[in-house]
Amino acid sequence: MIATQAKRAHAQERIATTVLRMAAGFVILAMALLLIYLATEGLKLFVVDHFSVFAFLFSGDYQPDTHPGAAIYIVGSLSVTLFAICIGGPFGIAVGIFLSELAPLRMSQILKPAIDVMVGIPSVVYGWLGLQLLVPLIRNTTGSPGFGLLAAGIVLSIMILPTVITLSEDAFRSLSPTLKEGSLALGATRWQTIVRVLLPSASSGLTVALILGIARAVGETLAVQLVIGNASQFPHGLLNPTSTLPTEIVQDLGGAAQGSMLEHALFSMAFLLLLIAMSLILIVRFALRKRA
Amino acid sequence: MDISVNPPVSNPTLLGSAGVRARRSTDRLATVVLWGMAISIIVMLACFVLYLLVLGVQYMTPDFIFGLPKEGEAGGGIGPEIFNSFYILVLTLVMTVPIAVSAGVYIQEYARPGRFRGLVQFSAEALATVPSIVMGLFGLLIFVYFFHLRFSAIVGAMTLTILNLPALMRVTQEALRTVPDSLREASMSIGATKWQTITKAVLPSAIGPMTTGIVLIAGRIFGETAALIYTAGLSVTTNSPYDFSLGHPAETLAVHLWYTRSESTVPDVARIGNGSALVLLFMVLLFNIAARVLGRTLTKRLTGKSS
Amino acid sequence: MTRNAALAALLVGLALVAPQVALADTSITLQGSTALLPLIKDAASIYQQAHPDVKIAVSGGGSGTGINLVAAKAIDVGNSDILAPAHPELVDHKVCVIGFAVIANPNVGVKNLSKKQIQEVFGGKVTNWKEVGGIDQKITVVNRPRSSGTRAVFTKTLMGSVTATETGLTEDATGTVVDVVAKTPGAVSYAALSGTRGKGLLELSIDGNAPSDENIYDGKYPVWSYEHMFTNGPPSADVSRFIAFVTSNSALVKKDGYLLIREMKVKEIDR
Repeated sequence: MIATQAKRAHAQERIATTVLRMAAGFVILAMALLLIYLATEGLKLFVVDHFSVFAFLFSGDYQPDTHPGAAIYIVGSLSVTLFAICIGGPFGIAVGIFLSELAPLRMSQILKPAIDVMVGIPSVVYGWLGLQLLVPLIRNTTGSPGFGLLAAGIVLSIMILPTVITLSEDAFRSLSPTLKEGSLALGATRWQTIVRVLLPSASSGLTVALILGIARAVGETLAVQLVIGNASQFPHGLLNPTSTLPTEIVQDLGGAAQGSMLEHALFSMAFLLLLIAMSLILIVRFALRKRA
Repeated sequence: MDISVNPPVSNPTLLGSAGVRARRSTDRLATVVLWGMAISIIVMLACFVLYLLVLGVQYMTPDFIFGLPKEGEAGGGIGPEIFNSFYILVLTLVMTVPIAVSAGVYIQEYARPGRFRGLVQFSAEALATVPSIVMGLFGLLIFVYFFHLRFSAIVGAMTLTILNLPALMRVTQEALRTVPDSLREASMSIGATKWQTITKAVLPSAIGPMTTGIVLIAGRIFGETAALIYTAGLSVTTNSPYDFSLGHPAETLAVHLWYTRSESTVPDVARIGNGSALVLLFMVLLFNIAARVLGRTLTKRLTGKSS
Repeated sequence: MTRNAALAALLVGLALVAPQVALADTSITLQGSTALLPLIKDAASIYQQAHPDVKIAVSGGGSGTGINLVAAKAIDVGNSDILAPAHPELVDHKVCVIGFAVIANPNVGVKNLSKKQIQEVFGGKVTNWKEVGGIDQKITVVNRPRSSGTRAVFTKTLMGSVTATETGLTEDATGTVVDVVAKTPGAVSYAALSGTRGKGLLELSIDGNAPSDENIYDGKYPVWSYEHMFTNGPPSADVSRFIAFVTSNSALVKKDGYLLIREMKVKEIDR
């Protein structure tokens, strides 16, 4: 009786382990398939159409059927991301400091759910709000069409805030309290403590916060597509309509004939986005290893 | 956590009183600025809610919320779109939760450090940063072009399953981490197997934070857009508002908001846009509140302690 | 234990039954051109009232998507503004004629442009409305994406060998273009008449000819094309019936702002 029960428990244990292991393996499988499929499609431009990788990355001449140089979209993506991280980054870190060092309990209890809500707001709603509030505002104050780098950059700055805030708060909280106490005991003001002690010690955690903010910004599609103007030109200024890699994919994939050079180029852009995302993850791992 | 407002000055003789005053005013200024930034976030969010409320609340009629969408004329509703959002959400959760929770349990409770575990964790992290448009293209490639499935609820849900696996896995792992090792040891010491320990003791005590995490992710699935355009499609079957079939195109509410602005031919874009945005925002708030309430009640009921 | 087993059985059962239920009814899936979308959606909802057993699902996504997916047999009908020479297996069903207008913000002070002026405006040589007789206002050209069927027709019929400037905005569908042109001072673009009529926009005459139905039928106004529904091989009986319903429903075609093929006095090659 006991023996059979033990046997059954043992069998149960083995089955359970196998099933769980399979689920974990599924995650690897999903990522591997994603990589293989996008690589296969994304490399066709270079392998099948014999277009040069160099021209794809660095040429601003975008002729979908003959010469799809993607530099415009790469520069566009870099510009909006840079804008977003320059505005949203410091702002997010500042609020992270506020939450970990200054905020009274009552304030945290309001701010944290507010940040959770910000995470949950669909990106298309951010885009819609940008379209309704920001674009007309820019149009009326500057006389430009309103769509462009500035509008997209502001929308993205707001969208990456929750990521940066949450992760930088974690970075400050994970610091040893003795650091802070020591600095304060030496007579430093709270501000001096933050700038001279906490910021440098949390730097690797803050790097992670900024990089994951970049990851969120660089792949964002619809919120940007609604407000950036989607022009196939390099951004010459903040008010200039331009395009990013994801917005160009959404704009042209619907009309691209299967097997055409344009379709191949769009999948190359998607593959490039995937490579960017993966290299950001590698940087994060590197930064975290340094911390540990 | 609260640091005293007037930090002690240790060596007043060395630092001139003017220096102290300057440092103190910088400190005070910094405090004010940080408070201002924090408050501005709340104000901004409140503005979004108010703006959509003012512009959208007039459309919250049964005709709009339950009606069929229209094309080429004004007065369309968003009934099938709301239904599809929930339908795809449920389908996605039915697929994601078992896989992600199992994978999370495996990594957190079973796997020893090694190549397999490292690879799973790296895959999950990499998958988590994949932009949702790229995931949408992957869904298009594998499900539509390779398996010849149509743009449909099930294709959309399968794509979202992969998209949300890493987040849900992380939620599981973090919830399991909150369970003290003493509980595991106690369970094992009375002769329970590892599997029994996990299903009977560990998972029940982690259920609170896990539910909170899952519901928050559900809110995100509800509003997902970019991954669905090329997988679930931009339309609904026009003769049934509640289409349970898995194989039909199933435009969700968030996609409909984008579609209305980008592709449709209706004259009342602003009405449908503001109305849909308000419903989406309302749902986000609802999911957030539900996440907290559910998490707290479940923790209380299953462990008899408050979180 | 038995409860768990019952639950598992139920889930497995559901998983097996659900797809069957999903595929039990007659369903027609159409996808593609956004310019043709209003007509197909309208026709679908009327058709389904008469045939409650038929489920029709219509999506946009662009002409290219429509052709790709019908060629891959993922959908029943691909709607398109353009032909599909790369796919000889596809059967073309011409639905109607669609006219396109050159549209501008109502305040630009110009009602007519010559073909040459249009080429200069969209080519970026003329950058202010006063150079073509309008007010002193910078011109903002709103393009469609390069893969758009509408852009293809516009380029073929008006631009010739002139390349459109990319310095303005690019918006991906008729509805968006209409909205942006209405709100942006000095904006000019091109869009399907089915989507522009009655939106308070300025529809420019070309060489003195307004984009009216008569001018298109007579061949005086050049910017039009056929709309196509493609099936992969001959259509099934159900699909065939629906296509016939769309193509024969002249009242509906007219109501939604399209033109009838049989009224055309010129052919596509006459332009």
